[in-house]
Amino acid sequence: MTRRPGKGRRQIALKDRLTPVLISLVSVVVVFGAIAYFVGSAEQWPRIQNQFFSFEAMLEAAPGVAGGFLVSLQIWLISLVCIGIWALVLAIFRAMSGPWFAPLRVFAIVYVDLFRGLPALLLVLLFGFGIPALNLPGLPKEGLFWGGVALILSYSAYATEVYRSGIEAVHEGQGMAAKALGLTQWQTLRYAILPQALRNVVPAMLNLVVALQKDVALLSVLGVRDAVREAQIYTARTFNYSSLVVAAILFLLATIPLARLTDHLQRRDRARRLQGAR
Amino acid sequence: MAHKHNILTVALLAVMAMVVTPVLAQEKTPNDPRLFTPGKLTVSTSEPSYPPWVLDNNPEAGEGFEAALVYALAAELGFKKEDVVWVDVTFDGAIAPGPKPYDFSIQQISVTPERAKVATFSDVYYQSDKAVIALPNSTVAAAKSFADLKAARWGVAVGTTDFDYVTHVLGIDNAAVYDDQAGVFQALQGGQIDATVAALPTALYATCCQVPEAKITAILPKDPKDEGLGLLFAYENPIVPWINEGLAKLKEKGVIDELAKKYLIADPSIPEITQ
Repeated sequence: MTRRPGKGRRQIALKDRLTPVLISLVSVVVVFGAIAYFVGSAEQWPRIQNQFFSFEAMLEAAPGVAGGFLVSLQIWLISLVCIGIWALVLAIFRAMSGPWFAPLRVFAIVYVDLFRGLPALLLVLLFGFGIPALNLPGLPKEGLFWGGVALILSYSAYATEVYRSGIEAVHEGQGMAAKALGLTQWQTLRYAILPQALRNVVPAMLNLVVALQKDVALLSVLGVRDAVREAQIYTARTFNYSSLVVAAILFLLATIPLARLTDHLQRRDRARRLQGAR
Repeated sequence: MAHKHNILTVALLAVMAMVVTPVLAQEKTPNDPRLFTPGKLTVSTSEPSYPPWVLDNNPEAGEGFEAALVYALAAELGFKKEDVVWVDVTFDGAIAPGPKPYDFSIQQISVTPERAKVATFSDVYYQSDKAVIALPNSTVAAAKSFADLKAARWGVAVGTTDFDYVTHVLGIDNAAVYDDQAGVFQALQGGQIDATVAALPTALYATCCQVPEAKITAILPKDPKDEGLGLLFAYENPIVPWINEGLAKLKEKGVIDELAKKYLIADPSIPEITQ
């Protein structure tokens, strides 16, 4: 029987419980107050404030930037789905054992080496400007499409490795047990390994999800008007940077709740699996 | 002999002036203490810089409309050729607030009332028409009105007034926006867009040398909001009036017109679309 911590909490006096809270509040106020005072004391601060944090400019820029952000979100979500599937396929290729599957394993290894080693921007430029310039009949010409393809190919390489680490983290005994029960290789993966592996990789995957959202802005080199590009358009017109702050706020609004949600899901999942054991 | 005498007199006067008013005499001379480096005229332009504004991406040679203008201006203000110092600063760097590591930036930056609220410009040194650049087989090539132009897929570079032109004057709200002119021409060649607008001199160079298969299909009317090209200074830089005096003298003497004739020749046989 493990001892549950937190049992003794109730006996602690109110004063002892409030002291740490007060100390943290005071230290936060002091530290950030000092920073704010230091920044605000700069001679140029009123002008910087006007050019970066002007409320009127933010309001004026908001519709355009929000429209661009919707474009960003669409690319992001569609890419996420494609990456999730394609990377899983590659990871399964790598996990297949046996001589017949050697070509698949080699393909997955070469793919990851290649696409992980190339900067995403380079791929976006190569695909987005290169393929349409070939003028091949029957292929779409949109920069948006080819830029999306480049992002998917690039990020799938990273995601494949994340899946693989999850698969390899599942104890070998699991695979052996499944074999002993007479499961085929595919069934072992499907019912024993993958469900555990996917659970393990959620935090690492979330990193990629957030990183992808930022890299969607790379597609602006192909003319796509995402949130960052719309913010730049406003800045170019007025020389005012408040539009970039609007874009920053939108990005944070999208990613922070996502991070909190996955943390919550993880905690719930762990509690369910470990059933109170710590 | 009389010539020598004159020089001596001038020199004597100069020495006397320096003794009498040590600092004031320095203002509006190459040793003006308000310059970024007194004794030098420090000018920023983009890297790379494009013809016909700067030839061969080498402003030091003084070839190209803007490079030649800077040297003419420097001479007008009393600087020697070797006193002009060039630094590379992108458009983004030039429009950022705060102190600048140069006196002014010259890179075809348009003066607009909105921009003038937060940045300080010189007087306008050049006004150019906008030109439509398209591939000869595109729908734009035969356009007769703004309505015909609307049917095309447009692309422009970010940071230019070309974007405002396409959006507000032509009323196109889905133009693709690229990092720079090079990206726009890439997309044009790849068939991802049908047309773009650019200042006429830029368009002339682009269609002769960068994208030879593209043509200038029309000249468009000026955007009333776009006052023309100006030198961009750090906000409220005190040397602006002095630089403006120099620009005014160059205009008066016809130097700017000459430079425009030399580097920015327009082809008179292009149709105009005005509505």
